[in-house]
Amino acid sequence: MSLSRRAFVGLAAASVAGAGLAACSSPAAAPATTGTSSSAAAPAGQLPATTIKILAPSYADSSKADWDKIIAEFNKKQPNVKVELQIEAWETFSEKVQQRIQAKDYPDILNDNAFAAQASAGLLYPIDEVMSAATLASIEPALMKNGVGTDGKTWAAPDIASARMMAYNTDLFAKAGITAAPKTWAELEDAAKKIAAQGAAGYGMPLGKEEAQVESSLWLWGAGGDWASGGKLVANQPATVEAFTEMKKLIDAKAVQADAGASNRQQVADLFDNGKLGMYVSHSGLMGNTRKKFPNIKFDLAPIPSKDGKPVAFGVTDFILAFNNKDANRKEATKQFLDLMYSDAMYEGWYKGTGLLPVTKSQIEKAKASDKDNAKFYEALSFVKFNPVSDPKWDALKGALQSTAGTISKDAPDAVVKAIQAQLDAAG
Amino acid sequence: MSTVVAARRASGWKDTITALPWIAPTLLLIAAVVIYPTILMFQTAFVKYTPQGVERGPAGFANFNGPAGAFTFPTVPWPAIWTNTVVWVVVVVLATLVCSLALAQFLNKDFPGRKLLRLVVILPWACSVVMTTTVFNYGLQADVGVFNRLFVDTGILQAAQGFTKNPATSFWVAVFVAVYVSIPFTTYTILAGLQSVPGDVIEAAHMDGANVIQRYWSIVFPMLRPAIAAAMLINIINVFNSLPILKILNEAPGYHTAHTTTTLIFEYKVKLGPGVASALSIVNFGFCLLIIAIYLAVVKPTKEVQ
Repeated sequence: MSLSRRAFVGLAAASVAGAGLAACSSPAAAPATTGTSSSAAAPAGQLPATTIKILAPSYADSSKADWDKIIAEFNKKQPNVKVELQIEAWETFSEKVQQRIQAKDYPDILNDNAFAAQASAGLLYPIDEVMSAATLASIEPALMKNGVGTDGKTWAAPDIASARMMAYNTDLFAKAGITAAPKTWAELEDAAKKIAAQGAAGYGMPLGKEEAQVESSLWLWGAGGDWASGGKLVANQPATVEAFTEMKKLIDAKAVQADAGASNRQQVADLFDNGKLGMYVSHSGLMGNTRKKFPNIKFDLAPIPSKDGKPVAFGVTDFILAFNNKDANRKEATKQFLDLMYSDAMYEGWYKGTGLLPVTKSQIEKAKASDKDNAKFYEALSFVKFNPVSDPKWDALKGALQSTAGTISKDAPDAVVKAIQAQLDAAG
Repeated sequence: MSTVVAARRASGWKDTITALPWIAPTLLLIAAVVIYPTILMFQTAFVKYTPQGVERGPAGFANFNGPAGAFTFPTVPWPAIWTNTVVWVVVVVLATLVCSLALAQFLNKDFPGRKLLRLVVILPWACSVVMTTTVFNYGLQADVGVFNRLFVDTGILQAAQGFTKNPATSFWVAVFVAVYVSIPFTTYTILAGLQSVPGDVIEAAHMDGANVIQRYWSIVFPMLRPAIAAAMLINIINVFNSLPILKILNEAPGYHTAHTTTTLIFEYKVKLGPGVASALSIVNFGFCLLIIAIYLAVVKPTKEVQ
């Protein structure tokens, strides 16, 4: 009995030693194998068993499947690396990110629309540590610079871009006797009122907690202002008051959808898709959905009106952020995953799933040539403006706008702007 | 004399030690799910966090009264929030009690289909609160909601209203839904109390010439006190801490006038981080204890419960 047990222990020890030996020898062999044939899935190049975690928003119903395709491909090369994917809705996305950070359960890869707060908290890898030089070079430099923090380091890489333009229902416009898309605020007001008189809502203004920061920025830029002023973000400035006054004018004239202060983008899009809304600021993903699922809605796209008629377009890039989990294997796996994700073969399917615009040079070229539906969005990319996402104070301003911009439906614009400034100052 | 006391005390200690193996699991559970979170709440309230939840050292009282403190953050409508908190608890608990007393009285009568009706009354209780509230939320939407459709088609309303989009109406919608989901439990507790009212006492009162109202207020109601006391105490705590109903039915963003202190905690958690949220939680905790203390002092329900 005791003899057989000892024999078993000995055997086990021998096999462990053998495994250890094999493990020791593999790194030495790795450079030779990868040097000769990089594409072959040589076991020597494989990472030891580890897990990387991805947290991403839902761009479309296919979002999970789109990520899963990359994960499946990645696992062919790295079968030992488990990839945990969590997809969450945009509306509550920042809360989910916050929960993960509070629990110190940092996702290795986070797909989000902001990065400054995490970067300034020292939670991230500079993006060039988790992407190869070739991958970084494949991304359009004009978009890449959105990921540069105020300290000059690149903390995030864009993964999709979107341009926002005004979509308008041509049938409703014709019915209301409007011949051209409005260019100035006065024309917009006039068109919205005419459409409202026909029984539909004129202009869709989502000032709920999801999109208030976008809508506010558009009107501020339309008034010729900008959040950044004198090196910091300022809400309480004459241009903001002017913008909010104009927005309130439309709300008071009942030319916008009901309950503007509590509507999110999707609710406005739903109204448009059902022919109950004349115009709203939209992006290629939403319009793709309208084209596919609501073929009887006839629409066209135009630049967003401004006070003096100078066209405004809004640009957004979402980002890939890599959290520092202090684990070399996870970092290496993250790097290989991201390099794979941005490769043409993987990235094309992934970005198309989002319905938005690509960020890699090769895909932008390809899409400009072939994607006729979104031609106007690509054109707009040349004059879009971006929100100041690289400023660590942007999160506070965004939060204040999301909380408070909607109250212009009942309060005076200058009081609302003061409240936003007060929240911004306090949260600093 | 003193030796007797000492002996009794010693035997008391001995009893406790003998009982320890049996009560230890409960004590451990209480320590884990009641005491530990309370300690954590107090700790968190004095730590500085970024809104994303990254720790930034000790905060002192800054989470309470700093520039971004729970009580000093600008634009928070405090008078409305305190009023709401009190109105929320008092109105929901009392309205539930009144409805439940009537309903229990009715369900206590013998009539055909009573079993089925009792089952139907229990349904809102069996459903998840989040689900029930979401159904109300959809029904009250201005463009697709069935309740709105009903109100407009019957002429009660001229045009559909966004009940849940406006803080003034959404608060009262939430009160209604809270009463709706609290009724089953309260009704059943009172119904159980009614079963224990002996029929012969009521009969005797009847013989003595007491009318229906006298019989109810002088005999039935006093006998229901233990049941009502238990139901109200549980309701007060439940309603005070109820988050999902107010949160789901309030679609207006930010620091609006339909918040109670409980929903404000969650608004703070998202916008200002866990430190500030914990600071308000402590006060909320104290406020809850105060309401219960007032209730205990005024109604003295424990006399009957014991």
